Amino acid sequence: MIGIAVVLAVAIGAVAVSRVPRSGDAGSGLPQRFDYDLKTHKTIDPALILYRQAGELPLDLSASRAVAVGPEDRIYVAGDQKILVFDREGTRRSEIALESEPRCLAVGGAGNKEPGRIYVGMRDHVEVYGPDGTRQAVWERLGEKAVLTSIAVADSADEHDIFAADAGHRVVHRYDPSGKRLAEIGRRNREQKIRGFIIPSPYFDLAVTADGLLRVVNPGMHRIEAYTFDGHFEEPLVWGKASLEIEGFCGCCNPANMAAMPGGGYVTAEKGIPRVKIYGADGNFVGVVAGPDVLAPTATITEETREDHKLEVVDVAADSRGRILVLDPAARKVRIFVARNPQMETKS
Amino acid sequence: MASSSDKLDRRQFVGNGVRIAGAIGLGGFVGFLAGRRGSADDTVWQIDPNKCIACGNCATYCVLDESAAKCVHSYPMCGYCELCTGYFEPDPNDLNSGAENQLCPTGAIVRKFVEEPYHEYSIDEALCIGCAKCVKGCNAFGNGSLYMQVRHDRCLNCNECAIAVACPSQAFVRVPASNPYLLKHKGTGA
Amino acid sequence: MMVVAVSAAAALAVERFPPPDFTDHQLPQTTTPHGRWLGWEYFDMAALAAGLVLASYFALGRRSRKGLVGLATVAMVWLGFWRQGCVCAIGAIQNVSLAVFDPSYTVPLTVIAFFALPLLVTLFFGRTFCAAVCPLGAVQELTLVRPVRVPGWVDQSLGLVPFIYLGAAVLFAATGAGFIICQYDPYVGFFRLSGNAAMITFGICLLVIGLFIGRPYCRYLCPLGAIFGLFSRVSGRHVRIPPDECIQCRLCEDACPYGAIRPPTVPQTPAERARGRRRLGWMLALAPVLVVVGTGLGYTLATPLSLVHREVRLAERMKLEEAGKVEGTIDASDAFRNTGRPARELYTEAIALRERFAFLGGLLGGWVGLVIGMKLVHLSIRRKRDEYSPDPAWCVSCGRCFEYCPSEQQTLIQELPTLEKSGV
Repeated sequence: MIGIAVVLAVAIGAVAVSRVPRSGDAGSGLPQRFDYDLKTHKTIDPALILYRQAGELPLDLSASRAVAVGPEDRIYVAGDQKILVFDREGTRRSEIALESEPRCLAVGGAGNKEPGRIYVGMRDHVEVYGPDGTRQAVWERLGEKAVLTSIAVADSADEHDIFAADAGHRVVHRYDPSGKRLAEIGRRNREQKIRGFIIPSPYFDLAVTADGLLRVVNPGMHRIEAYTFDGHFEEPLVWGKASLEIEGFCGCCNPANMAAMPGGGYVTAEKGIPRVKIYGADGNFVGVVAGPDVLAPTATITEETREDHKLEVVDVAADSRGRILVLDPAARKVRIFVARNPQMETKS
Repeated sequence: MASSSDKLDRRQFVGNGVRIAGAIGLGGFVGFLAGRRGSADDTVWQIDPNKCIACGNCATYCVLDESAAKCVHSYPMCGYCELCTGYFEPDPNDLNSGAENQLCPTGAIVRKFVEEPYHEYSIDEALCIGCAKCVKGCNAFGNGSLYMQVRHDRCLNCNECAIAVACPSQAFVRVPASNPYLLKHKGTGA
Repeated sequence: MMVVAVSAAAALAVERFPPPDFTDHQLPQTTTPHGRWLGWEYFDMAALAAGLVLASYFALGRRSRKGLVGLATVAMVWLGFWRQGCVCAIGAIQNVSLAVFDPSYTVPLTVIAFFALPLLVTLFFGRTFCAAVCPLGAVQELTLVRPVRVPGWVDQSLGLVPFIYLGAAVLFAATGAGFIICQYDPYVGFFRLSGNAAMITFGICLLVIGLFIGRPYCRYLCPLGAIFGLFSRVSGRHVRIPPDECIQCRLCEDACPYGAIRPPTVPQTPAERARGRRRLGWMLALAPVLVVVGTGLGYTLATPLSLVHREVRLAERMKLEEAGKVEGTIDASDAFRNTGRPARELYTEAIALRERFAFLGGLLGGWVGLVIGMKLVHLSIRRKRDEYSPDPAWCVSCGRCFEYCPSEQQTLIQELPTLEKSGV
């Protein structure tokens, strides 16, 4: 009896020991509802993808932050402590060394009083460089809390002002070309129905559209707001909604970046689920430029929790020919997209 | 007779010699170990949040029934979003605390209205099982203010942490017991 | 091994972004509850020292089985159920090995104490730690209901396992592959009243075995017991069965459930002696052969041994994934890719580790060969014994045999009125 019990116990014990999990390779063993899965939201209907990648510019930047288009469709990329300038064909023309790390940039367009003038947003101030790369001015510092995330230049005959989005103070600063701060736009104001910019993370973009309005992303509300240069809120022109669906903006605060298309309309870039999309001038969804399969090809479960928790967020710009430039910091390149259907180009 | 007692004495002598040599050797080894550790602090286990991939192993591999690793919140890093992707399921029906909208399977995140339009989120540690689902949600879109830490009021500080063995990203490290947390945020704001 | 992350706090400089300006709301602080008061460590060390002194006193001085059982119960409650099996003299072997091979590892003071103090006491007084201070020993001591004698050859062969286990534990601890003694601790699940199913099952099986076969873990697994056995052999004042003179009554012969009592030797005929010498000669010649063979075998086992190390396992997995030989990825390989480190770096590391395992595996194999060889030599040596005495390597000083000895009974009766003399 005892012998049998002992032999049995030895056998069971040996089997048990061989089954002791020696690593976590088998996973947590938690049921499905403990999984966080965005897979279904990351697949995009191919019929909606209206663009194809036509080329790319490799960047030797470890942290690239912004892309902008200047006169003659020159391409400017800010990152590390420099600005790289490419011509429209993608040939590298020059490089401007900076003293600190740039966050954002804008270039005076052909219609501007000073075409090719470069406005670089550092964390708390704007620096101005001439088309030849010489530093012309360093504007006032905006204080410890300031986090400049975007700059736009008005590009018409009578308006030459510069608008800088300050995510830290949650306002837009308006400057004249000499660097004088003229006004703050978008501060919370009940009478004007301005709810204020809700900016949970340092992504806060703006653009000047051809209709002479300032369009500012209100990321926490997942919408794009319109203001006159004087700061008047144009409520009926607000557009955008929160949704993981392709027509909406995903996550807690999106779009992260936005640019105006030459013929009206917008190109937007979202973080979280990296997708670049086109919207019409009135805010209706038009189509997709690129989705996670292009912008985050190594999609794994871990992408939700990157090391250092640094989101690699793409920036976008559009040139006069309707090409869309997507700055892909993770891939260290600017991807150039053109419309699959050439009609699109002329239409937009 | 005399030879036998001689033999005994010799044996005793050798025995004593061996014992004393053993004791001295052991003492020397202890001295070496003590010298090697120096005045360093003893260590405890902690999760390096920069390495953590929120895989969920913390919830099941801890030797405790209820894991010692739980989610914590770095308040100064939080965006206080109305639509928090660490609190709400992807594409929630509505932005309220209805169970069907909540991401946390155990309902361990508390959502509190602060002021228009901000909401504060905090962890009810009694309910948190350390599955890290919210950490993924927060990191996917947000600031990564939700992250995993070993709670030392619960941790047994095992000689070799069972979660550390199972951790796929080697995020478990030994840290000094006098400074037992690897917080993402020190002090206030800025 | 994971390096102490002193600098990790400074490295957490993620880009900060100010929280909203609340009109009237203070941001809460992330709470950081502290663990056990660090002073308890000193208490543990003091308790250990006191336990060792008491155990030695009960075993050698007072010769009190009751005292030993009482102390063992306290030890089981204190180190087992209260401290939940962690800090442990057996596990300390691994910390010490790791500390020797990895200078960046901080070995706790308690671990040094739990490693050194029992060894020191064993060196002088035999395995009194096993008798009444070790919580694992206590569990087995208290759950032995119907002892069954294990055949000598089984006993001797299984007695080799602890040495092999010890060698493996040191190897894996030294290479940073893991603390296998802790991972395969059968009783810690009871102390904590939780644990993974396989280990609990193993624990239950061992408890069942322990109902009939005395102290199965101590005798056939415990790596510290292997070291204790060596130390105990030279102990000056080991526990004796009779309090004074052995009257060779043979009453104690069956008293020991652990097979540690050796009978007096009978005189040998010259022919027997000659045969014994020849046998010893053969065994002495065989031992080096076994060491060489063991070293060779250990060396060839480098590949499977190295798979215990997570980094080697990950490298293997990554290789398979890259070659498309397995479908999908696992968390560990995802996490590695996530760091952006080139896979080549991992492979180089894995190769270096494997080389280390080849060297240490050879050592381990040699050690196993040496252990077997020494066992055979030891079994061939006849040492003259005049009385029934415990084998110091096997005896755990549990005191079960005391009451079987008629002279013990005699002394007890004689000394009843003058108890103070009973200390001898």
